[in-house]
Amino acid sequence: MNQTYFLSRLFLFILSGVVLLSGCKKSSPAPTPEDEKEIITTVVLLLVPEGKGQNASATWKDPDGPDGQAPSIENLVLKANTTYRGTLTLLNESSPNTPVDITAEVRTEGHDHEVFYVVDGASLAITKTDLDRNNRPIGLETTMATTLPSAGSLRIVLKHQPGLKRGNSTIETGETDVDVVFPVLIQD
Amino acid sequence: MFKLPVIGKNLLLLVLSLFLAHAGLAQDMYLDPEADLVEQDCGLTFSGKVIDHDSREPLIGATVLITELQKAVITDEYGNYHFHHLCRGSYTVTTTYIGYEVISTSLRLTSSVVRNMTLHVDAKTFGAVEVVGGRMIKHTQETETLTGRELEETKGLSLGESLKKLTGVSSVQTGPTVSKPVIHGLFGNRVLILNNGVRHESQQWGNEHAPEIDPLNAQELKVVKGAAGVRYGSDAIGGIVMVNPKPLPDSAGVAGEVNLIGSTNTRMGTVAGMVEGRLRQVPLSWRLHTSLKKAGSAQAPDYNLNNTGFEEQNLAATVGYQQERFGAELYYSYFHSKLGFLSSAHIGNLTDLANAIGREQPEETGSFTYTIARPYQDVTHHLLKARGYYKTGDLGELQFTYGLQDNRRQEYDRHRNTGDTPQLDLDLQTHTSELVWEHEPIGNLSGTIGATTIWQNNTYAPNTRALLPFFKGLTVGAFLAEKWQKNRLQLEAGLRYDQKALDIQRWDGTRELLKPSYTFHNLSGSFGALYELGYHVTLSGQVGYASRAPHAYELFARGLHNSAATYEVGDPNLVSEAAVNTMATFTYHSNPRLNGELSLYHNTINNYIYLQIAPEYALGVQGAYLYAKYQQADARFWGADIMADYALTSRLTLINKTSLVYAINRETGNYLPFITPNRTDNTLRYSFDDNGSSSKLTSSYLALGGLYVARQSRSDAQSDPVLPAPDAYFLLHAEIGTSIQLGKQPVELGLVGNNLLNTTYRDYQNRLRYFSDEMGRMLLFRVKFLL
Repeated sequence: MNQTYFLSRLFLFILSGVVLLSGCKKSSPAPTPEDEKEIITTVVLLLVPEGKGQNASATWKDPDGPDGQAPSIENLVLKANTTYRGTLTLLNESSPNTPVDITAEVRTEGHDHEVFYVVDGASLAITKTDLDRNNRPIGLETTMATTLPSAGSLRIVLKHQPGLKRGNSTIETGETDVDVVFPVLIQD
Repeated sequence: MFKLPVIGKNLLLLVLSLFLAHAGLAQDMYLDPEADLVEQDCGLTFSGKVIDHDSREPLIGATVLITELQKAVITDEYGNYHFHHLCRGSYTVTTTYIGYEVISTSLRLTSSVVRNMTLHVDAKTFGAVEVVGGRMIKHTQETETLTGRELEETKGLSLGESLKKLTGVSSVQTGPTVSKPVIHGLFGNRVLILNNGVRHESQQWGNEHAPEIDPLNAQELKVVKGAAGVRYGSDAIGGIVMVNPKPLPDSAGVAGEVNLIGSTNTRMGTVAGMVEGRLRQVPLSWRLHTSLKKAGSAQAPDYNLNNTGFEEQNLAATVGYQQERFGAELYYSYFHSKLGFLSSAHIGNLTDLANAIGREQPEETGSFTYTIARPYQDVTHHLLKARGYYKTGDLGELQFTYGLQDNRRQEYDRHRNTGDTPQLDLDLQTHTSELVWEHEPIGNLSGTIGATTIWQNNTYAPNTRALLPFFKGLTVGAFLAEKWQKNRLQLEAGLRYDQKALDIQRWDGTRELLKPSYTFHNLSGSFGALYELGYHVTLSGQVGYASRAPHAYELFARGLHNSAATYEVGDPNLVSEAAVNTMATFTYHSNPRLNGELSLYHNTINNYIYLQIAPEYALGVQGAYLYAKYQQADARFWGADIMADYALTSRLTLINKTSLVYAINRETGNYLPFITPNRTDNTLRYSFDDNGSSSKLTSSYLALGGLYVARQSRSDAQSDPVLPAPDAYFLLHAEIGTSIQLGKQPVELGLVGNNLLNTTYRDYQNRLRYFSDEMGRMLLFRVKFLL
């Protein structure tokens, strides 16, 4: 009987240990809101006409990432027979109060990046005007020339091409950082 | 804070009262026979003949021992034996004869008895067959062990790759370095891994998360196949992998060993060292084990697999104190690995995926290097285990085990920014405790009663991807497993109840912090029987029920898996999945020529949780991703494991291992994705004669075999929308090993060759099959010095 008593005491002792070990941990801090660094949520294309005329711009924005709310996409409305100087801006707006401009980072690493523009339907000709340290185009700065009134789309693709950006690298080379499509309307 | 107290305490009290009630009962029952002994009859005779099982000839000079009385007699010239003046009671009778297997039988003596003892020729004396696992099955559930020479041959491979040597076990891979065990087609959260007796708790939901365990520290790797939830947790629907280190030394002195392992292909180098000892004055034993591994990028037959190197550092230290009645053990292990991820498998979106699939070979092949660049994983795992036992002569043994684990997983994506912060940084802390009482046999009944707790806290570092939310979980469980044995029949039954509380904290984007809570109740049970149908044939069968609560990842995954261009999404409404697993095993053993085992299984899983690629895409700024969502369906798995060896001559053996797995979605009749293709491995092994010439070589052997893996024909555009299953493949492998006595120094040498024909192939269960071929020819060299 003595032994049973001893065992039951031992058992109780160990059990209290189990409960204490698993029970006394203080609540740890809550998670911080999602704020992943270096992601791109927003693409802004700003077009300033050479000479007179109105600036044009369009924004493609998906601050909560894929899934969640659908992205907001603006139309790019341009004037026919006009030449614009285009500037592409990339932002991380996943925290709405503290947007981060990522464009400079991409420019600094221009030798590993290239922006590609694919026009479909619209009468729009695009030339890249900025160069990386190896004298290859980056594509953040462009010249965009419109001709006839027309409608179509402009696909903008930013490729990350670490060690892969060469004379023959294309839109298929490397990993995609941005791949968005703007509806384009060119009118008189 | 979480809500353990009320329910948890009540449950524990319940277990406690059960325990006390049982303890009292056990003592009563134990006392009964002693009361009987007072009025006993002591004039009984026990006699009979000892004969050879096959020839029926009497065996002259065999020893028959009654263990309890320490009385032994030797058979006479007719093989007869006699014991006189025995009292009524239960005895164990052991019969031994040189060249024959020892048999022990129980004898309940109530009147004089004549019984003939039939002995079997010891299979080992034929020198032909090495019976791995000895006089075999101890459990009704199918169990297979990798140990000794077979384990040695896997040295230098990861845990997942090593286990593939066992029938019915395959692996889910992510490139050449990440390999996770698959048992009968099930893996991940459904396969429990016990590392030195503690449930290994890490981010097991990820297919590219290999178990953080060093197999070099193991003396045996044991796999329990099929639902095995009763003893270690109801989530073991697929089975259990046990990684067991060698027991601590039990005789005084210091010993050690050094292993050197190297390979071609990845040019891997591994150094592993072990020292152990036991003090003379105090019953204190200790061991220190360490290993360092480093490998460069793997080579497919036609190109370099860029950025697939890895490095790993391990340390394990144990101290044990043992007395007759009481013992305690403290164990600590550290695991750290950094492993590169095939760079061209890290892709941005669907267009990239299509481009990658369209390429003959990965975009970046580079050349061999040990350098590990982004993308890579950096994982650290600590385990601290404290275990104590107390033996009471008449009650049994009481064991308490506590484990503390910390798993830190950092994944570095290939981003523009080359800074040194990871994009995924998860930290999982786990406390496990287990109190078990192994009671002394009550009549023919022996068993275990226990209670377990698991407490977990998962967090991620600020500014990293919230792929898995913050969560706290508490699982409290109680179980009972009993075994009843009489003569040739063994019955096993078990029951377990687990209650799992899960508290999640996750941000709904940046809008608000949501705190959903869950409570799951999970029941497990099993019933098994084993019958020795004659000496060479054993039949066993088991029906197991297990139910697994969904993992926090399956409920709340939300994020991008770059390697698959897949946006993975959990489903907060998932319920526990429940499996009924039936298995039957036929074993033909201890024969001079043909030995084998056939195991059939059928597993019905209701609410089977799986990740299915959806027809629609997820659109983001990077373009379109595949969209994969966790779903539930009623599934059925069935298949067979066949293991057979045939001694062609006394030295040459043919060994066959075949595994068949089939699975189907019972609701739609569709195939399930990612199920193991059928495979068969046939090996010819030649063992050299040790006693022959004056050679210094011992235990030498040579083996040559081929593995054939069929194409997964049970797949279609619905189960695998991205790319059809790859073709079947055949790989040739060889093993050579020997022991040399260099002066006083025994040295073991071994050479293993995998994919000897340098075959180009892709494996269905390798997630990188979209991007690259598998590794080409690899030779592994190993040298072991015993100190």
